[in-house]
Order: sequence, then C-alpha cells, then structure tokens
Amino acid sequence: MAETVYAHESVAEADAHAPVAHIEHDTNTGISNTKLAMWLFLASECLLFGGLITTYVLYRHPLEGPTPKEIFDIPFTSTSSFVLLMSSLTMVLAVSAIERADHERLRVWLGATALLGATFIAGQVYEFTVFVREGLGFTTSRFSSAFYTLTGFHGVHVTIGIIMLMSMLFLSLRGKLPEHRSETVEVVGLYWHFVDVVWIFIFAVVYLVP
Amino acid sequence: MALTSHDPIPTQVLDGAVREYSRDKVYVLTAIFLGAITGIEVSTYAWPDFPLWKGDMLVPVLMILMAVKFFTVAYIFMHLRFDKKILTWFFYSGLVLAVLVYLAVLSMFRIWFPGEHG
Repeated sequence: MAETVYAHESVAEADAHAPVAHIEHDTNTGISNTKLAMWLFLASECLLFGGLITTYVLYRHPLEGPTPKEIFDIPFTSTSSFVLLMSSLTMVLAVSAIERADHERLRVWLGATALLGATFIAGQVYEFTVFVREGLGFTTSRFSSAFYTLTGFHGVHVTIGIIMLMSMLFLSLRGKLPEHRSETVEVVGLYWHFVDVVWIFIFAVVYLVP
Repeated sequence: MALTSHDPIPTQVLDGAVREYSRDKVYVLTAIFLGAITGIEVSTYAWPDFPLWKGDMLVPVLMILMAVKFFTVAYIFMHLRFDKKILTWFFYSGLVLAVLVYLAVLSMFRIWFPGEHG
C-alpha cells in the first residue's frame, strides 16, 4: 500500500505551477470510488461497443441498397475524426489546468472540448442526412441498420459527454469547481477519452477497412 | 513520510493524474503524433497502391495503426501511465473479455472462412 503524502502542501506551495498531489483515498484500493466506478463502467462499455462493432462486421455486406464504398465520404469523415481526436487534447489540457488551479484556462479548454464535440456531432448529423437522401435508410439493408446503430450509439455517447462538459463549465463559472475537486473533471475526461478511443476503432473498422 | 519542497513526489503516492507537472508539452506532442497516425490511415484510402499497404497488407496495417492510437490515448491521455496499475487491469480485462467474446461470435459465424457463411 502506498504511503500518504503528509507534506504535499509544502511541495505545492514551493512552486506556483506545482499540482496538488492526490492524497490516498480511504478505500481498500486507495482510489476514490467515483474514479473506480468510472473505470469499471468504461470496461463494461468495451463489451457494449464490442457487440455493436461485431454486428457491423457480420452485416457489413449489404444484400440490397447502397454499399459502403458507394456512400462513404472518407475525406469528410477523416476531418471529423481529426476534430474528435483534437478534443481529447483540449480535454486533457482542461484536467491539467484545474490541477494547477488555473480556472480561466480550465474554462477555455472545457469550452473548446465541448465545441469540438459539437462540431463532430454536427458532422455526423450532416453525414446521416446525406446518406438518407442517397437512399440509405435505417431499414434499407442489414448494413444500414448495423451502421446507424453503431455510429448512432457513439453519437449519443458524444452528446452525453458534451452535456457533462457544459455542466462542468457551468459549475466552474459559478465557482463551484475548486481545484480540490479536480478529480471530477478528470473522471469526465476519462469518459471523453473513451468516446474518442471508440471512434478510433469505428473509423478504422467501418470507414477504412475495404 | 514527510516531504520537503525539494523532494520529488514519489509516483506510488499519487492515485491520480499528477506525477509531475509541465506535462502539457507531452500532451501536445502526443496529439501531433496521433494526428500523424490518422494521416497515415487516411493515406491508405488516398493511395491504395502504396507498397506498404498494398493488397492483403492493408487490413493488418490499419489494425496496427488503430492499436497504436488506442493505446497512446489510453496510456497518455487517460493517464494509465501515471495511475495505479489496478485501473489498467480493470480496463484491459474488460477489453480482453470483449475481444475474446466477439472473436468467438465471429468464429461461430465462420467469418474467417469466406464463402462458407451466409
């Protein structure tokens, strides 16, 4: 079991940029229950998205309607993927900012992350609209059902993430997110990064694998 | 154990994101690296005849690039590099379980033997 830092205040005060060391939590693992719960939740989410990706792999060859090759706009989706990837950077910078008690930058990075997430969702809505116009409805083929279910579930996760980010931003603006609650931002960040890694899978398996 | 301002904070006492400060530069470099990998992934679409990923090599190359991106995000951005090992075990156990279960499902559907399924 790791030892508790008793003198972390003196370490932090010695350098204005030093983060506050996380003190051991009074749990069996030494990890806060919130953080542990989030990691367990993310582990279970692997199973959910694993199921959806597997279903897509099984049904990716449509028996009728447009094929993936005919309908996918890879340059557009690549741009969306890059936007989501960069939102992971702004998220981790937000966590870093609150650990330094830099609340102004925390708000900037939280806002930027939410904005990038919203841009990704806007891109997804546009993509779905174009697909439907081109004749790929939800029930057009087994491919379309699997595709919309997988990417739609991911989109819902991103949307929930944006709501959490906006809540953090709102709390921060009201002064209810002091630096000693940095773990709250970190836990939201874990969720956001998970959404990003899921898209890394989806982008490669759904869009790029021929 | 009491620490002075000159002592580095031992890694094992930290349960969270913090081991050392000034990590922002590492994060930016990581993002550039991830962007570059994404660029290579997109190149497989733009230049399908490039020798490195021509023909049967395309899927393995994409899977390797995907894995590199996945573990980079988990390791650096999700702080598994700096966090307690138990969190790594939790997350990877879920991941491995998912992969094994769905490999079994795909095998059940004979996805590895084109022409036999459906």
